[in-house]
Amino acid sequence: MSLAHPDAMRSTRPEPTRTAPPFRPDYTTPRMRRYLLFDATGFLYLLVGFVVLRAIWALSSGSEAWAALLRDFQNPLYVIFHALCFVSVIFVGVRFFRLFPKAQPPRVGPLKPPPGPVIFALLYTVWIGVTIVFAAILAGVWP
Amino acid sequence: MAVKHLLLRLEPIIWLLFGQGILIGTILLTGWLLIVGLAVPLGWVNVEVLAYERAQTLGGNWIGRLLLFLLAALPLWKGAHHVRSLSLDYGGLKRDAVLAPLLYLVAAAGSVLALCAVLRLPEAA
Repeated sequence: MSLAHPDAMRSTRPEPTRTAPPFRPDYTTPRMRRYLLFDATGFLYLLVGFVVLRAIWALSSGSEAWAALLRDFQNPLYVIFHALCFVSVIFVGVRFFRLFPKAQPPRVGPLKPPPGPVIFALLYTVWIGVTIVFAAILAGVWP
Repeated sequence: MAVKHLLLRLEPIIWLLFGQGILIGTILLTGWLLIVGLAVPLGWVNVEVLAYERAQTLGGNWIGRLLLFLLAALPLWKGAHHVRSLSLDYGGLKRDAVLAPLLYLVAAAGSVLALCAVLRLPEAA
């Protein structure tokens, strides 16, 4: 694995604020590995976006194209890919929702944002709730 | 230089789409991957639940179209921005001038195709 470029985030023009000289991060730390893994999920999101696009296109092309897509999804490679994507989505959700309350501005218009634990609980409620409802509809359990 | 200037001007839009890609994309993808990607192909759920007529009924109304569009388009923006971020970490700014517009163009093209695809869907019966 090659190391990060030390000038990755350097400005192209002189900045008024003095900054510390750039240095290569230490990739052996678990913190850096998790950070890079979070970025690397971008590859899977990019691919799964196109897979969903293919599914919509197949649905709009008729019953034969849709049946062919469902057959393709049974291919072990697709199953492994979807399992990897599922793990990535859970990882991204857990990491991002933990960060979300910390990234709130001090005020939103005239209001203060709710306390961090409330935002955190709301995010998880929406995530789990939408997943249960969406999965139940797709699986034909509800309505 | 012109590309960099354009990207800086578009940054608020790119960040909005990237943020929604993580937030809404992740929320929607969890259920989709669980059922369409895993449960049905592995036989945990009867494949008939995704029979063409039922899938078309679910996806052919305006709520279904909107959800399908978001499911396809938003992950593309999350993916494009994070791949760019990874490239910046490893390659610095030199490669970014080519890679960043390319990645965002791929995400934009995918989003337009997703819009066309949901508009092509037959109206739900």
